[in-house]
Amino acid sequence: MAQTYRKLLVDPLVDNNPITVQVLGICSALAVTSSLKVAMVMTIAVILVTAFSSFFISILRNHIPNSIRIIVQMVIIASLVILVEQVLKAFAYEISKTLSVFVGLIITNCIVMGRAEAFAMSNPPVASFIDGVGNGVGYGLLLLLVGFIRELFGAGSLFGLTILETVNNGGWYVPNGMLLLPPSAFFVIGLLIWAFRTWKPDQAEAREYKIQIAEGH
Amino acid sequence: MGLRNFFDRIEPQFTKGGRYERLFPVYEMVESFLYTPKTVTTAAPHARSYVDMKRIMTYVVIATIPAILMGLYNTGLQVNTAFEALGPSGWRAAVIDFFGIGFNAANPAANMLHGLLYFLPIYITTLVVGGVWEVLFATVRRHEVNEGFLVTSMLYALILPPNVPLWQVALGISFGVVIGKEVFGGTGKNFLNPALTGRAFLYFAYPAQMSGETIWTPVDGFSGATALAVSAADGFQNLSAYGITWMDAFVGTVQGSIGETSTIAITIGLAFLLITKIANWRLVVGCLAGMIAFSTLLNLIGSDTNPMFAMPWYWHLVVGGYAFGLAFMVTEPVSASHTNLGRYIYGALIGFMVVMIRVVNPAFPEGMMLAILFGNVFAPLIDYFVVQANIRRRAKRNV
Amino acid sequence: MSDAHSNKGPVRRFFDLPKDSVPKTLFVAVAVCLVAAMIVSAAAVALRPIQEINKAREKQINILQVAGLYENGTDVATAFTVFEPRVLELATGSFTDRFDAATFDDRAAADDPATSVALADDPAGIGRQSQFVTVYLLRDQTGAIDKVILPIHGYGLWSTLYGFIAVEENGNDIFGLQFYSHAETPGLGGEVDNPRWKALWSGKKLTDAEGVLQITVAKSAPPAGAEFHVDALAGATLTSAGIDNLVRFWMGETGYAPFLANLKAGDL
Repeated sequence: MAQTYRKLLVDPLVDNNPITVQVLGICSALAVTSSLKVAMVMTIAVILVTAFSSFFISILRNHIPNSIRIIVQMVIIASLVILVEQVLKAFAYEISKTLSVFVGLIITNCIVMGRAEAFAMSNPPVASFIDGVGNGVGYGLLLLLVGFIRELFGAGSLFGLTILETVNNGGWYVPNGMLLLPPSAFFVIGLLIWAFRTWKPDQAEAREYKIQIAEGH
Repeated sequence: MGLRNFFDRIEPQFTKGGRYERLFPVYEMVESFLYTPKTVTTAAPHARSYVDMKRIMTYVVIATIPAILMGLYNTGLQVNTAFEALGPSGWRAAVIDFFGIGFNAANPAANMLHGLLYFLPIYITTLVVGGVWEVLFATVRRHEVNEGFLVTSMLYALILPPNVPLWQVALGISFGVVIGKEVFGGTGKNFLNPALTGRAFLYFAYPAQMSGETIWTPVDGFSGATALAVSAADGFQNLSAYGITWMDAFVGTVQGSIGETSTIAITIGLAFLLITKIANWRLVVGCLAGMIAFSTLLNLIGSDTNPMFAMPWYWHLVVGGYAFGLAFMVTEPVSASHTNLGRYIYGALIGFMVVMIRVVNPAFPEGMMLAILFGNVFAPLIDYFVVQANIRRRAKRNV
Repeated sequence: MSDAHSNKGPVRRFFDLPKDSVPKTLFVAVAVCLVAAMIVSAAAVALRPIQEINKAREKQINILQVAGLYENGTDVATAFTVFEPRVLELATGSFTDRFDAATFDDRAAADDPATSVALADDPAGIGRQSQFVTVYLLRDQTGAIDKVILPIHGYGLWSTLYGFIAVEENGNDIFGLQFYSHAETPGLGGEVDNPRWKALWSGKKLTDAEGVLQITVAKSAPPAGAEFHVDALAGATLTSAGIDNLVRFWMGETGYAPFLANLKAGDL
């Protein structure tokens, strides 16, 4: 059993990462990765929400009627998200302002819903909880990686601490302004997926077409 | 033919089974740059044409020559003129002093040389850095290095401001080649223009070095706005107050990116491309029509607060990057539409968008780069609808 | 009902119903909603006081910062007690007791037709201007006004910038300027948050000896002199123009000019 739990926890980190393999949760990854601090808070929020929503849904799985199961899942997920949002507003006001609507949008994050529907509805609570943590962490790893790249090269700092002194503050580093704009996360995530799939070629999808090379040469 | 013999001798090392098999693309690039390839197509079908990829690319490079010459002259002219007021500065001044040529703005040769000292470092950086990426991808993917890169690098160097830092040149061309072209499978499969992709990257990443008043003429303490920036702020009617006449903008003795300023030189290049049928005239007609129609419409609508509304089409034609983009980027066959009707629509869309961005968007004075990239993205969709319409029409006829 | 079921209690029997039966579906739906609603509202109610404090605290920090009184670790609530919030009537330039400064909501007042006017001439791009605003007075030991902190806002390139300007007791010298909310381009217009740029405002003057408003944000100094000039942000022409417009608007006749005149004359 311990082996299974371990697998549930470790599998989504790289081999079955929700962002690089399943390409889920991209929208929030664009919005909250311009600084590492915000990405960190978002990561923790998503881990909590996926873990606990999977846990509660799994407890109720034998009683949730099929006809309204999505609604029941949504109610549970939404309540947890609101809870997280309220706590952030109370205890981390600055960050909750930067995260603004994106905490609320965890509700629509495909990863949470996906794990609830694909795993928690058919597995016991503890396994579901661990699966939720694993997927949350897998999502968070990518978020932190993207946040690291964007904040370091976009603003010359990490967690708000100056690493590369920027020109505007009298240093030498000319920050790459595009990395602070949301679309840059597309490029960064795309390049990361490319790197991951070069490292682990079995992650790449099968081609939808076949290239035939003519004889000759 | 010692060189030919040399190539023949070393070729087996690079072909299948040879010691440097993986480096075949590098060998092929050098060999085919110097000699006509000796390989022939063996599989059917055959289409015989005197125009091959290499000739197309060579012709485009030839077509840029007038723009390059005028660009060099103008860059030097602007710098030398500024030197007269502010005094010489920078390492280039030292080089020119060393040769004893001087900074006389009235001397075209001195201007050309000074311009060359700005253009060459940018161009060489582009070639080296972009070339490394090309060879890297060619080696890993085992295809040949494509001549298209010669065109990309030339166009890219020409649309940069003279004062751009070289490390930014390197970053931009890396982005252009990798994200604009190689991730989609290389030359022929790229739906974005790689040179513009690289330029757009720099524009958004380092806006302070890519727009403003101090970048066009690289002299300390000099600031001069482009004709577009002046028009956006004060109205094109007041351009003469800044010493810019329509003729100046047409000939190209104004502030701007190296190769973009001279409309007359670019027109010569475009005429060459049209006569040799490298450029498709439908794209040019579409793009002109879209720009003229929409700018005239805006002239009629008018605006009290935005002076750009009043800018007539013949000014739009000569300022900013419109002419250069029209001649060398709208007409680029890979990223444009491939159907004849689609080409009109594609051109018109770009012509419309460039005026839209220039006039209505407050943040970006220049719209050609963004308009063309926008058009690139829509080109496959336009083709799809044109083809579908044709299928429906023919299906109806044959009921 | 079969005999096997009859020896179970009603609750047990209910739980054993197939999960898609109508009573069970209704029960689960209602129960989940009730529990969720209870948890959510409990959290909202329990945490509201802390959230309100946070909100107020954030504004107080900005006011303290613009007045140069904030350092990391300052006890905000205590430090803020040095300020005296007052509601100001813009047209007359004097304080009014029509509203309680502690509860007056500037943004709501700007939307309320009773307390605001639609601007015909609107360089700051704010649409409606409230006739009443909350200003913060900082007094020295003797009880005389030392600085006044005035809220300002206006449109930049992409967004409305909200901020405060701190003016010395002579009604003419700027002590500081700071924006606390905006969405300008990071690295360009976003540099309004750069301490180096904010520091440029300190010591600048609003009007010349004749009382003509001269302060300007521009690329080069105006003929009136460098003490009226703040350097525009590099590469952010439109954000700079927006700040120029909004500062000149708020410091002008439709803004705080009457109040600053009263302040200068000592009529407060």
